[in-house]
Amino acid sequence: MPDSDVLISLHDVTKAYKTPAGDFWALKGVDIEVAPGEFVGILGKSGAGKTTLVNLLTGVDHCTGGEIEVDGVAVHRLKENQAAKWRARNLGVIFQSFQLMPSLSLLDNVTLPMDFAGLYRPIRSAERALELLRAVEIDEHAFKLPSDISGGQQQRVAIARALANDPPIIVADEPTGRLDSSTAETIFAIFETLVQQGKTIFMVSHDPGFVRRYSRVIWLADGLVTDEPQFDVK
Amino acid sequence: MRSFQFTRSLWRPRWHKVTADLWGNKVRSFLVISSIAVGLFAVGLITSMYVLNGEDMEAGYSSVNPASIQVFTSLYEEDVLTHIRHVEGVRQVQGEYIFSLRVRRSGGEWKPIDIHAIPSIEQMDINRVHLEKGVWPPRDKEIVVDSYKLPELPVGVGGLLELELPSSRTRSLRLVGAINDQTIGSTGGGGFFLAPAQGYITLETLDWLELPNNQMNVIFVTVDRSPNDYAYLREVGNRVSDAVEQSGVTVYSTAIRAANDHPNRVYVDAISAVLFVLGFLVMFLSGFLITNTLSALLNQQVHQIGVMKTIGGRRGQIMGIYMVQIFIFGLLAFSIAMPLSSQVSYSLLGYFSQAVNTQQQGFRVVPVSVVLQLVVALIVPQVAAFIPILHGTRISAVEAMSGYSQSNPPNPKGWINQRLHDVRGLSRPLLLSLRNTFRRRGRLFLTLFTLTLGGAIFIGTFNVERSLSSYIERIGRYFMADVNLTFKQYYRIEEIESAIKEIPGVRQVEGWTAASGELMLPDGSVGETTRLLAPPSQSELVSPILLEGRWLGPADADSNVITVNERFRETYPNLKPGDIIQVKIAGRERDLQVVGFFRLAGKSSGYLAYGTYEYLSRVIHQPNRANTFRVRSEQPRLNLQEQQAMGRQIETHLEALGYQLADVEAGESLTATTADGLNILTIFLLIMALLIAVVGSIGLMGTMSLNVMERTREIGILRAIGASDRAVMELVLVEGALIGLMSWVFGVLLAFPISSLMSNAINLALFGAAADFTFTPTGVFLWLGVVSVLSVLASVGPARNATRLTIREVLAYE
Repeated sequence: MPDSDVLISLHDVTKAYKTPAGDFWALKGVDIEVAPGEFVGILGKSGAGKTTLVNLLTGVDHCTGGEIEVDGVAVHRLKENQAAKWRARNLGVIFQSFQLMPSLSLLDNVTLPMDFAGLYRPIRSAERALELLRAVEIDEHAFKLPSDISGGQQQRVAIARALANDPPIIVADEPTGRLDSSTAETIFAIFETLVQQGKTIFMVSHDPGFVRRYSRVIWLADGLVTDEPQFDVK
Repeated sequence: MRSFQFTRSLWRPRWHKVTADLWGNKVRSFLVISSIAVGLFAVGLITSMYVLNGEDMEAGYSSVNPASIQVFTSLYEEDVLTHIRHVEGVRQVQGEYIFSLRVRRSGGEWKPIDIHAIPSIEQMDINRVHLEKGVWPPRDKEIVVDSYKLPELPVGVGGLLELELPSSRTRSLRLVGAINDQTIGSTGGGGFFLAPAQGYITLETLDWLELPNNQMNVIFVTVDRSPNDYAYLREVGNRVSDAVEQSGVTVYSTAIRAANDHPNRVYVDAISAVLFVLGFLVMFLSGFLITNTLSALLNQQVHQIGVMKTIGGRRGQIMGIYMVQIFIFGLLAFSIAMPLSSQVSYSLLGYFSQAVNTQQQGFRVVPVSVVLQLVVALIVPQVAAFIPILHGTRISAVEAMSGYSQSNPPNPKGWINQRLHDVRGLSRPLLLSLRNTFRRRGRLFLTLFTLTLGGAIFIGTFNVERSLSSYIERIGRYFMADVNLTFKQYYRIEEIESAIKEIPGVRQVEGWTAASGELMLPDGSVGETTRLLAPPSQSELVSPILLEGRWLGPADADSNVITVNERFRETYPNLKPGDIIQVKIAGRERDLQVVGFFRLAGKSSGYLAYGTYEYLSRVIHQPNRANTFRVRSEQPRLNLQEQQAMGRQIETHLEALGYQLADVEAGESLTATTADGLNILTIFLLIMALLIAVVGSIGLMGTMSLNVMERTREIGILRAIGASDRAVMELVLVEGALIGLMSWVFGVLLAFPISSLMSNAINLALFGAAADFTFTPTGVFLWLGVVSVLSVLASVGPARNATRLTIREVLAYE
């Protein structure tokens, strides 16, 4: 893959956590490159280091060693505030447990990243949030609170929120992990549509069900990239 | 509806989060606002009372145009006043005829009343009075009395008041009004609380009372400038005295008082001193209460801070959200606390102004108090919350969301955990409660400190109250006789003694004498009026509280030695035991040697000195005779009712024998009257203790409830793994009770310095000296009760709510 085609690059990335028992190495030297428009699935069993990888890639955590570059930005060198500003404009993050603001309506949850990024005026951001909620077919509940809707619906809102500032990259951490299979299918279909629209998606999962629908699968085991599939692929 | 909601969504959503958080969790918002409000209320109440207390006293006293100089003379006529009006420095002059009669009281007994016969009473401009009930001025054969003593009279306004004339005949005057006279006690002597009832009549009414109606015996003077400058007042006072004597009138005594020096100033000052110390402590208490509350609130927001950071929120933006939220909390708390504290302080002061005879100046909001409350409401919370906000926004997004600190991982081998592990026989849930208590040491410290300070102030207030009460009990040792008799004239001591001893049960009778004297200053001018009391030198009926020097004994029988009270120390700080002072008694200057200082009821009790009967009776030319007698029963420790019964028995017996009594007073009642001012302070302290308990209680409940709310999710997990509601409840209660108990122990310890600080403040104001330290278990155990009950109540409510939620709701709780 030529360098100009690389949007995300992780080089020899390591991460150690301090524990009372001593350092625990969650990542032991990971090398990954992702091209624009790819739908990359990082698959592995629980404890393989998938969430750590997402945290490092999104800049919410810092690696112990190695380099992470996203669209020319050395994410591993960003300070906390710089990382937040960078994420606001360049990255949409989706979590397994949705992480919506419980006191805000769905519409406000989607407009919040626009408010932080300052890319849209309030009236435009509200219109855009409604458009995004419509795109994920949840606009009829726009003024409800997260606690008033189901898990699948919450994840749709989380996707709409991730798209709020129209970032080129979406990073998702087990987005279907807490959903039933039919809802998971709907959510995955939304991701596929986004890829067709030109987004790059970096998704970690331990669900073997969608393996064949990623444009590329990277297996992770014990903090290292491996060529060996970690579970049976149907 | 939808368009309205959409319009609302046009606000920046971060501000929408502020209002949504406020409204979305009403119980939490209520707890936060009430915790801040209660702290503000305490600050507002105490600062308002402090300011109004002083202002009301000074403004109220100045507004009656009090006499700066009062000259007590032999009888004189109107033309003397005309002469005085021309004396340099004199602005206004007013004459009165003041004399003592006896009035029939509610119980039927006769008590002294000072009658003020005022010429041109409708134009009276010095020592103005404030009408409280009925009418002013009185007309012919009518009387108005001071409202403080009105409850002791047998009739109310409109009734007929029975007076005993010097001839022993009785006459009635229609009681037409009750007034507030702030100048009562302004001449020194016993001060306001020892003064008898005061009656006000026209000069013309004197005829009806068998007295000449064209003569007066007191001159009231105001000065042309500097009414608060004692040196100037004394200078003008001396000129007035000289002018009076030049008119052929004898000056018996002169009293000088500044226009801002209310006779009960010492009590007002003592209240102010306590308020000042309490205000200072309460500021700290509120600060900690607010810090603690906001720290608990922000702790619940850390996860959301992490999410906001992940979706692009920068530290400044997130800090802004919480600072605005806290600003709104502060503003709401202020809007509750400010009017409430103004109203309560006004009502409380209303009670005290009546008790200490000051005139309340109407309801008003105190600007300093408002500003202080605003500062505490808007700035203290921001400062208090700054560190938790900074901490919340500084931890990395991943730590905020996971609740796991990479830089500071949990340490199961910590000292406390190890010690808890070593304790055998503890059940798992109990162990969990104990571990929970010590898990967040920063929060624990804040909670403990807030509760400790509240408890220490509460206990301290009780200690100060106890210290004052025990002092009041000690005052009783100046009045150890069961019955005190005052006669209208001097009688031979042996004669009265044998007459009283005819009554069965009488053990001892002592004849005392008393005189009024004027202190002569080194420059030859007349100083303060002093009351001299003279028990026999071997008397055992006085057990004084000595400050310095010694008391009088049999060896002093014929010597010119005296002991003087704390008021002398205040006015003449250089006076030492052994010094000689000149006092004008019965028209002649005498050298008296001060051998000791004693303490009575504070600096307001007037200038009082004890000499020996043997010496003073010679000076006043009444040897072996006395007009006051002290009687002791064979039965020790009579109570008030028994003393009063004995008094009535003696009075009946003596009157049957033809002796003329002016007053019969039980020993206990004399102690109570002397200690009236101090009693007001003890009531004030109890009210303050109650207020602090309320402030501390609401703070305690808020803090503990927030602590439990924070654990709602944890409670859900415990229930999910099989913990019963009872087990959860026990877990929370043990933690609450443990925190309450620890704060109680620390509170008791901190109460020592706080009690000492408050006692010293009040004692310096009252007596001009530091206090003897008193520690009473009352406050300690009361606070233990308050803390125990509140810890349980504050923990049970949120815990019950948590156990009522379904496990799904609880796990989704944030």
